Amino acid sequence: MFTKFPALKFILLAAVLAYPLVPFTDYYVLHVAVLTMVYMILAMGLNVVPGFTGLLDLGFVGFYGIGAYTAGILSLSYGLSFWLILPMAVLAGAFVGMLRGAPTLRLSGDYFAIVTFGFTELVVLFLTNEIWLTRGPLGMPGIPPVEIDLRWLHAGWRYVFTGETPYYYLALILVALVYAIMLRVENSRLGRAWLAIREDPLAAASCGVNLMLFKTVAFAFSAAIGALAGCLMARWSMFLSPDIFKFWESFLVLCMLVLGGLGNVNGAIVGAVILICLGEVLRIVLPKLGLPAETRFLVYGLIMIFIMRFKPAGFMPHVAGCSFVGRRARELKARLEAERAG
Amino acid sequence: MDAILKVDGVSKRFGGLMALSDVSFEIRPGRIMGLIGPNGAGKTTMFNCIAGIYTPTDGRILLNQEGRALEVNGSKPERMTQLGVARTFQNIRLFGSLTVLDNVRIGRHCRTGQGFWGAVLRTRAQKAEEALLIEQSLEYLDFVGLKGKALDIATSLSYGDQRRLEIARAMASGPKLLLLDEPAAGMNPQETASLVDLIHAILEKGITVVLIEHDMKLVMKICEHLVVLDHGVMIAEGGPRDIRENPQVIEAYLGRGAAHA
Repeated sequence: MFTKFPALKFILLAAVLAYPLVPFTDYYVLHVAVLTMVYMILAMGLNVVPGFTGLLDLGFVGFYGIGAYTAGILSLSYGLSFWLILPMAVLAGAFVGMLRGAPTLRLSGDYFAIVTFGFTELVVLFLTNEIWLTRGPLGMPGIPPVEIDLRWLHAGWRYVFTGETPYYYLALILVALVYAIMLRVENSRLGRAWLAIREDPLAAASCGVNLMLFKTVAFAFSAAIGALAGCLMARWSMFLSPDIFKFWESFLVLCMLVLGGLGNVNGAIVGAVILICLGEVLRIVLPKLGLPAETRFLVYGLIMIFIMRFKPAGFMPHVAGCSFVGRRARELKARLEAERAG
Repeated sequence: MDAILKVDGVSKRFGGLMALSDVSFEIRPGRIMGLIGPNGAGKTTMFNCIAGIYTPTDGRILLNQEGRALEVNGSKPERMTQLGVARTFQNIRLFGSLTVLDNVRIGRHCRTGQGFWGAVLRTRAQKAEEALLIEQSLEYLDFVGLKGKALDIATSLSYGDQRRLEIARAMASGPKLLLLDEPAAGMNPQETASLVDLIHAILEKGITVVLIEHDMKLVMKICEHLVVLDHGVMIAEGGPRDIRENPQVIEAYLGRGAAHA
């Protein structure tokens, strides 16, 4: 679609950028848009483990929780700025991701999935029971909003994020940042090593890929992105509770990936848009049909069954696996064809 | 030490099964060595021991590192590749859903060094390495005759081409010793003939080749030295002519009494 109409990409981008500023902007739509973008970051982060290295990770939401609570505790107890907390939450996520590597590095398939599943439960139990740190089931209300404080530069230069519009742009910047990093990493020595592990671990090792090292990097990277999403979410929703990080969330993010096509960064974005928007639509439509809003989980299940039956590779099957798509691939193709002809 | 690799009294036991018992031989540089024997003789086990996939139960594997013998038993596969031992697999193990070019690029993994930050920041060193990597990979593909198919998906290649791609991927790691596990299996006569040319071209590049092969005509034609295994025991070693007339080898392949018939 984008190759046929290259301008479409820019029109879409302009529309996304301008939306909050147009007069008919709706507060609710903006809220859903920010939520969608949080899930986009989550989906891109999760994609690293099951999509690139081929290990089914059912515990991703644990890192989301760790990022969110790191941000929440640091904001409430120490009053640190969002801009300081963001890298700290990312580091905390990466660190826990590496720790989780210790028991899971030698596992694959179902065994890996089960241990990661246990990990989310562990995180939720920790958040629920360590009341001195997290206030437990009472949750964490009153997290301050994001602010840009430049009063040290000039008196009165302070901007506190109110409403959805500033968060919309903040989330947009973070999504763009994560997206760019993902594409760059995917098309690099590191990304190719991950894909090699996914395709055939034994052959990858025989090519000189250090499986332990590269899996650990994947876990840490994936967890760091999850924590980044958590940090954004904490300062945006301004309330945290352990319930937000139940296993169901991991599954929802995984559904987004499967919907868009595992291993595909664009697919992760599309999957997040479809499932979050669908969830919102169903929340309105289902009660009108006399069904409880929770019935929407059944619809998600149905969608997964249909995807598996009719489009098992997702809406955006990742054709060439990795790296060689886009301009550089076209250039190389042209060059090879010219050589063959001449 | 003048051999490129020395197998010294290597045994490998799987539970009650002695897959290899006390096997010793030397791989001399610059020639093609054949590892033959009936099915289940332990040939692939031997390869796996050399390539670091299995750790020998007993014995030593010595690799020539600039004239000195380096004991490498129990080294991980990635370390063996780093040290210059590359291999192909009996049942083709390509990165199926990736492109031909990517397969070779991953093959060169241990000779490249860019990490996470290089990729994220697109540093000058990273860009230079990537550009060089593409050129080098295309050279390896050209060497095996697959350059024109660089952007095809690996599984879309014909069987013979997949075998050649596996060789290109192994070559990309810059080995001094190349282990080929049944490279001609499933190939038609024309493909086998061009494989022979390819193996000679590899040898001309100064790479020592060891191959496991069931096609006796091929083995007798290209190998200068043969090691014969049967039930994990080395029963003969020597030139093709000696091996062909060795009564123990004939017995292993054809059964008792065949040597006198």
